[in-house]
This record gives sequence, structure tokens and C-alpha cells, in this order.
Amino acid sequence: MSEVAREWPSWLNRTKSAAQALIDFVQRCDLVDLIGVLTLFMVLIFPFPHWLFYITGDLALLLFLVYPRAIRSALFWFVLSLAATFVVIVDWHAVDNHKYLFLYWLWILCFCHLLAEPPRQRHILLVNARFFLCFVFLASAAQKFASPTYRSGEMFEYYLYADSRFTAFAKLIGIDPSVPDAVQKRIALFRSPYSKPIDNELELPGTDRARVAALILTWWDAALQLLIGMMLLFRLRATDQAAHVLLLLFIFTTYLPAPVFGFGWILAIMGLTLAKQNFPKIAAVYMIAFVAIIFYQLPWREWVLAT
Amino acid sequence: MRISPGSYDWRSALVICIPVVALLVAGRQVYLSRYHDLTTWKGGGMGMFAGADLWLNRYTKIFIVDSSGQRQPISDFTADQADLLRRALNYPIRQNFLIVARAIGKHDWIPRGERRQVSLVDFNGKKIGTTGESLYWIAPFGIRAPGEKWKWKLEIEYWKVSYNPLTRRAHTTLAETFVFKPEEL
Repeated sequence: MSEVAREWPSWLNRTKSAAQALIDFVQRCDLVDLIGVLTLFMVLIFPFPHWLFYITGDLALLLFLVYPRAIRSALFWFVLSLAATFVVIVDWHAVDNHKYLFLYWLWILCFCHLLAEPPRQRHILLVNARFFLCFVFLASAAQKFASPTYRSGEMFEYYLYADSRFTAFAKLIGIDPSVPDAVQKRIALFRSPYSKPIDNELELPGTDRARVAALILTWWDAALQLLIGMMLLFRLRATDQAAHVLLLLFIFTTYLPAPVFGFGWILAIMGLTLAKQNFPKIAAVYMIAFVAIIFYQLPWREWVLAT
Repeated sequence: MRISPGSYDWRSALVICIPVVALLVAGRQVYLSRYHDLTTWKGGGMGMFAGADLWLNRYTKIFIVDSSGQRQPISDFTADQADLLRRALNYPIRQNFLIVARAIGKHDWIPRGERRQVSLVDFNGKKIGTTGESLYWIAPFGIRAPGEKWKWKLEIEYWKVSYNPLTRRAHTTLAETFVFKPEEL
């Protein structure tokens, strides 16, 4: 049988080579080391907002740079975990939920390195990555479905208007910035002690487009999270593969409009942990997700609003 | 990779230790959200974007109450006070607002300018009259001298905003009023 010679464009060949190189690189890396480095990176770029953690993280990075094997020490992760625990306890009701997830992951790495045998170390990471991904998505979906303000679309619609971080995203989906601006000015009348709305009620100058967008976001988000959590419960190859595709879709699409980058990063770490051995191509895409999360921090909102 | 039953030891418990803690913390968060108005966005649950109860839906009106019962609103806050206030709104219990009240009590406050009429506004935000009440604009004026006693009551009204997407009407409700006596500050 003769093969038909196909000439691919050179850029495509280079892209395919680079992709294969990335896949090979991820496969060659030791799981525990790779996850340790990615977590240490998160300690530096998405730290707990407290001087104690900043200093501890900086010292940890310095130690890693001069003595890379330190990252395999349980003591290394214990100190970071302890600093994070202190910050969370002191400020527990002001700490975002995803910071708790980060805290738990730091302790998991500490416990992982308490175990000498690499198979046990990998086991602790795999078990906990799966548990926390299931927990995060199923608990989140449950809280969403249980919330009347979520189910009605109130949450997303109100935040499209009232949260200035969503103004640029709203503009991208066709909601002019003057709409959220007008709504925020109207809401300010509630907060001012020098104005009293009749019956404590005000009409917000919203739009049908925002309403529709909110409903789509509401059910898309809840359904996607429920699916990811459920797919990971079965521990079958096919459902795991589907879960990873959905999780990557979630990461790539959620953290552009929603600036909770640390959450995306920790989800990508957990996804990579699960995918590395069995799905090398998917594991490579998780590495691209990390890069995407970094780029999502570009000041694109200012650029969009300036146009 | 599984650990065979024969090799279970105390270190095997490390595998489930953190998940157990996570479940307990999440359960606590759900309880506090349900019964003590902790926002679902904080505290260790997984309720981010699960409900409209972040600081955008909560606010306070803070008043200094003098000996004759006259209330004057505090509208300007220092950065620290504003931060404490936002934290208190995450978990609006008396203890957290007391921290805010004490931070306010550390400063002197003075009226700025003339009294302002409180406007009555309609559903469209248009002014249609006044309520008959007039209030000063109270702003901070330096740290109070140590030993100088705070003389007035402080009232913190905690309000919640809800939005009906069908009618496009936002409604605000006074959830609770916290009164702090001078001796507490």
C-alpha cells in the first residue's frame, strides 16, 4: 500500500513537534516534583494576603533556588502549611473559599512528603486530587441549585451590573458600559443616608441582553460543574477523560471573565495530577492552561473598556 | 496505584485526614451561612458565585447618636475602617461590627458643611421631595487623645439588597440594627 505523501505547512509541523515535545516533557517529569514546583509557584503568585505568608513564601522560593531538593522535604511544606493555616484561622470569615482549597493542598503536599515510598506519595496526591475535584464541583453545584438567588438568574444579572470587574466582559457580550454604570449609580441611592427610596425599592435600568446572558451563565455554570463532579466519581477511563475535557473547558472559559486566578490554578494542578499518567496529551493541555491563567491577568478589561 | 490492605498503617490515615477536615469546615460554613448570615463566598464552603450575598448585596449605614437622640450619619471612613467594615459584612455579627465601632471610636468626627436635606426618591431614582429630615456630613478629624472618652452611642444598620430580575426592581431590607453604647467603645 502506498502512502500518499502529504505536505503540511512548516508552521504546522513545528507546532506538532512542539506539542509532542511538551507531551514528552510532562510524561518524563516526576509527578510529585512537578506538582511541588507548580504549587510553589502558586505560593508566590497567588499567595495568602498576609505578611507572614509573603515572607514564608519568599524564603521557601529562595531555599528552593539554592537547594532544589528542599522541595522534597516534608518540613518545607509544613512551614508553608503552618503559615497558611495561621492566616486562614486569623481571618477565617474574610478568606475566599478557594484559599481554603489551597491550604488543604499545602497540607496534602506536607503529608505526601512524610511518606518515603514514591508509590505512596503518588497515591496520596491522586486520592486527594480526585476527592477535592469531586468535592469542589459537587458542593459548588449543590450550593448553586439550593440557592434561590442563583436559580432565578438574579446573582449573575445583578453582578453583571453591580460588579465593575464584569463590566468589560459585559461589553464583550454586547452590554454597553453605560448600563452597569447607570445601575451602580442607582444602587448608590440605597447606600446614601441622604436619600430615601420610596418603599426601599428602585428600578434598575437593566437590559434584556443582560437577563438572557445571566440565565445562560447560570445554567451553563451549574450544569458544567455538576457534570465534572459526577464524571470524576466513577473512576472509569472514559468518564475521567470526559471530566478532564470539561474541566479544561471550565478553566479556559471561567477565569477570563472571573478574576479568581488562584482557583483556576489549583484546579489545574489537581487536574494535572489525575491526568499525568493516563492521559499525557490532556496533561500537556493542563500545562497550557497554567500559561493561559497567567495571560488572563493582562489588563484586558482596561483595553476593552478603552475601545 | 492502591495500597494493599496488608500494608495499612497510621500513615495511610494521612490520605483521608485533610478531606475529613475539609468536609467539617464546609459543613460549618453551610451552617453559619444558613443561620448566621455568613456569606457563601467565604469561610471554607464552595459557594462562590452560588448566591447574591457578597458585599455588593450588603451595606451599612452608621450613625453617631448624641445625648438627645439625634442621629448623624458617618459617610467618610479611613482605609482601615472601610476594610474592617467590608470584613464585618462578610459575617455580620455583633462582635465584628463592634470591631468596626471601636475603630470609629478611636477618631474624632466633625460635621462638614451645612446640613443636607434627605431626599425622597421614586422608583426611577428621581428626587420627588424631602423627608423633612436634615443631616450633617460627618467625617474623621484625627485620632482621639488617649484617655478621652467616647460620649455617644453608635448605631450600625445592616441592610441587604435583593434584585428581582423579572421586574428589574431592587429592594433593600434592614436586616439588623446594632447599637453600641459609649462604654463599649
